[in-house]
Amino acid sequence: MDVFWLVLTVLGLAVLGYWLGRTRALRSVAGDSRYLHSLPSYYGTNVALMTLVPAFFVMIAWLLIQPLIINDTVADMIPERAAQGAGELSLVMSDVRRVAAGLDAAVEQGALTEEEAASIRAEFTDIRARLGEIGVALGQEVSASTLRAAQVYRSMTASGSFWMSVVVLLLAGGGFATALMRTDKDFRARNVVESGVLAILFLAASIAILTTLGIVLSLIFNTVEFFRLYPIDDFFFGLTWSPSFGGGSELGVIPLLWGTFYISLIALAVAVPIGLFSAVYLSEYAPKPVRAFAKPLLEVLAGIPTIVYGLFALLTVGPFLQSVFGDDTVGWMQSASSVMTAGLVMGIMLIPFVSSLSDDIINAVPQAMRDGSYGLGATQSETVRQVILPAALPGIVGAILLAASRAIGETMIVVFGAGAAARLSLNPFEAMTTVTAKIVSQLTGDADFSSPEVLVAFALGMTLFVITLCLNVLALYIVRKYREQYE
Amino acid sequence: MYDAPTAAEQALQQHDIKISSRNVQVYYGDTHAIKDVDVDIEDKTVTAFIGPSGCGKSTFLRCLNRMNDTIDVARVEGEILLDGENIYDKKVDPVQLRARVGMVFQKPNPFPKSIYDNVAYGPRIHGMAKNRADLDEIVERALRRAALWDEVKDRMSAPGTGLSGGQQQRLCIARAVATEPEVLLMDEPASALDPIATSQIEELIDELRRNYAVVIVTHSMQQAARVSQKTAFFHLGNLVEYDDTSKIFTNPEDPRTESYITGRIG
Ligand SMILES: Nc1ncnc2c1ncn2[C@@H]1O[C@H](COP(=O)(O)OP(=O)(O)O)[C@@H](O)[C@H]1O
Ligand SMILES: [Mg+2]
Repeated sequence: MDVFWLVLTVLGLAVLGYWLGRTRALRSVAGDSRYLHSLPSYYGTNVALMTLVPAFFVMIAWLLIQPLIINDTVADMIPERAAQGAGELSLVMSDVRRVAAGLDAAVEQGALTEEEAASIRAEFTDIRARLGEIGVALGQEVSASTLRAAQVYRSMTASGSFWMSVVVLLLAGGGFATALMRTDKDFRARNVVESGVLAILFLAASIAILTTLGIVLSLIFNTVEFFRLYPIDDFFFGLTWSPSFGGGSELGVIPLLWGTFYISLIALAVAVPIGLFSAVYLSEYAPKPVRAFAKPLLEVLAGIPTIVYGLFALLTVGPFLQSVFGDDTVGWMQSASSVMTAGLVMGIMLIPFVSSLSDDIINAVPQAMRDGSYGLGATQSETVRQVILPAALPGIVGAILLAASRAIGETMIVVFGAGAAARLSLNPFEAMTTVTAKIVSQLTGDADFSSPEVLVAFALGMTLFVITLCLNVLALYIVRKYREQYE
Repeated sequence: MYDAPTAAEQALQQHDIKISSRNVQVYYGDTHAIKDVDVDIEDKTVTAFIGPSGCGKSTFLRCLNRMNDTIDVARVEGEILLDGENIYDKKVDPVQLRARVGMVFQKPNPFPKSIYDNVAYGPRIHGMAKNRADLDEIVERALRRAALWDEVKDRMSAPGTGLSGGQQQRLCIARAVATEPEVLLMDEPASALDPIATSQIEELIDELRRNYAVVIVTHSMQQAARVSQKTAFFHLGNLVEYDDTSKIFTNPEDPRTESYITGRIG
C-alpha cells in the first residue's frame, strides 16, 4: 500500500476511534458524563492516540531503516570491479535505483508484466532500448549485475512496503481495539492521555536532537577522512590557501580565519554601538507611539534575507566605498569587494539583532532599579549609564557574543562583498575571504568528492561549528547567569 | 555634630511646616486618584499615611518628590510647597528636588553594585565629596545612621544584592540618607520584611526623625501608631482626617476613620 493511503487509513481509523471511544464512554454511564472519571473527549483522544502513536512511530522508523538495509544488501551484489571507490559505489547505486524505477514504470504502463520485470536478463534483452521505448532514458548499457541488483532492489522494496503496511495496520488496529475495550467509566483516560501527550512531545524533542547529532557525526566523519588525506598541522597552521584541483594544494586555514575575524570585527564595531544606543533610546527614552512603531520595524529588518544585504553590498556599498577610497582619491581600495564593504553591510545586518536583544534585556531590568535611581536625584542618562547598563551588562555581552557568532557564520554578504581572495593583510580595503565563502566555493566546483580539495569543506565547517558553538555556549551561560540575578 | 535638640528647640520645631500641599489633584489618564488634598507636614516629625489599599497613599507620597513625573499618564494639579517654594514650579528642577526629598521603596531595591557603591551613588552624582576620603566618610556616616555599619563594615565591596531583606532595606535607607535629604519618603518600607527586620526599621525611623521630616506609608495601623506623631487617613483619594496620631487612634472625628481603625473598612 502506498504510504499516502496508509497514513490516510490510520488517520481515518483514529478519527473513528475518537468518536467511538467517546460514545462508548458515555454509554457506560448512560449519558451522564458526571459519573465518568475523565471528560468524554479524553476517552476519544485516548483511542485516537493509541491508534496513531505506535503505528506512526513504527512507520517512521521503518521508512528510515528500510532503505539502509536494502542498500546494504544490494551493494553487496555489485561485483568489486564495478565499484572501486566510495564515490563510484554511490554512482552505481543510483544507476540501480534508476533501473528499478524504470522497471516500475514499465510494469505500470503494461510494457512488461510483473513476471517479466522480475526475470528478464540483460544477457538476452536490450534493457536500455526497452526502457527507452516507454520514456525512461538510461545513460549507458545496463550491465547484468546492475540489472540483477535492480531486480532485487525492486523485490525487496515491494516486500518491505508490503510488510510495513501489514505491521502498521496491525498496530493501528490493535491499539484501536485495546483502547476501545478498556474504555469504561472508571478508566483513567485523562492520565493515559497525559502520558500519550508526553510521548509525542518526547518524540519531537528526540527527533530534533538526533538530527543535530546526525549533522555533527557526518561533519566529523568527513573531517577525519580529510585529515587522512591532508596533514592536520598544515591545515591549522598553514599560512597559504591555494587549492588546485590538479593536486598539490595548500590548504591553510589561517588566512580564512583571519578574513572571518577581520570582517566580523568590523561588523561588530558597526553593530554594537548603533544597536545598543538604539536599544537604549527605544527602551528608556522613546515615547510609546515611537516605540510601538520602531520596534516592529527593527524586527522586520532582522528578517530580511541576507542575500538582499549581499546585493546591497555588491551594488551600493562597494562602489560607493571605491569612489571614496579608490584610485581616484587616496588609492587604498583597488576593487569594490573588500573587508570594509562586507564588514559594514554585515554590521548593518546585525544592528536590529543587537538592538532587539539588548532592548529585551534592558526592559528586563526591574523598574525598581530606575525608581531607586530617580529617587536619589539622578537624571535619566545617569540612570542609564550607572544603573541600567551595568545591571544589563552580562545580558548585553551575551547578545554581542550571539551577534558575533552570526557574523562568523554569515556567507552571502561575504560572497558578494568581500571578494574571493584568501589573503593575510591588515588593509581593510583589500579583498579577503572567509571560512564560509570558501566552503561554498570548494563544494560547488565539480571536483571528485573524495579529494582533499572538496573534503576540506567539512574540516572548515567543523572549525566554524566548534567556534560558534563555543561562542554560543559562552553567551548562553552569561545570559543565564544574569537571569538568576532578579529571581 | 548631631546633638539632640534641647527641649525648647524641639517644641519650636514641632511647628515648623516642611511641606504643605494645597488643592492637590492627581489623575492617571481619566482616573481621578487624589482629590483636593490639603496637608501640612511638619519637620522633624514622622507622619504616617494610612488607608485602605488603592486609596492613593503611594500616589500622594510620590507627588512630594515628583516621582509621578516618570509615569506618562500621571498628571498633578494644585500646589505643593517645600519650605514655601512650589515644587511644581517651572523653575524647579525635579532632579535636584529628589536629592532634597529622598525616597525609600516598598521592596528593597539595592543596585547590583557593591555595598559601598550603593551608598556612594547619590553623593557621586551630586558631587558631594571632594575626594575619596571624604566619600568614605559620607558612606560610613550614612551606614551608621541606617544602623547597618557594624554589619557590613568588613565587606563593603560585596554586592548589595547579597544582603538579607532587612539589611537591603537599611542599605536603601542609607543610600537615601547619604545624599543629605531634608525629607525622607518611605512607601511601606517594612511590608516585605519579617518581624525582626521590621522592628529594626521602625527603630531606625524613630532615629531619623531627629534630622529629617519622615513621611511613611503603611498598611499596618500598629506600625503607624508605634512610629508616627502625625497620621493622615486617606480614603478613595480623599484625605479624610489628619491629626496627631494619638488623637486619630483614640478619638477620631470622622466616622470613616473610626470604621477603618476598628477594622470595619479595609
Ligand atoms: N501607574 C499608574 N497608572 C494608572 N493608575 C494608577 C497607577 N498607579 C496607581 N494607580 C491608581 O491610582 C489609585 C491609587 O493607587 P495607589 O496610590 O498605589 O494606592 P495605595 O498606595 O494607597 O494602595 C489606584 O486606583 C490605582 O489603580
Ligand atoms: Mg501603595
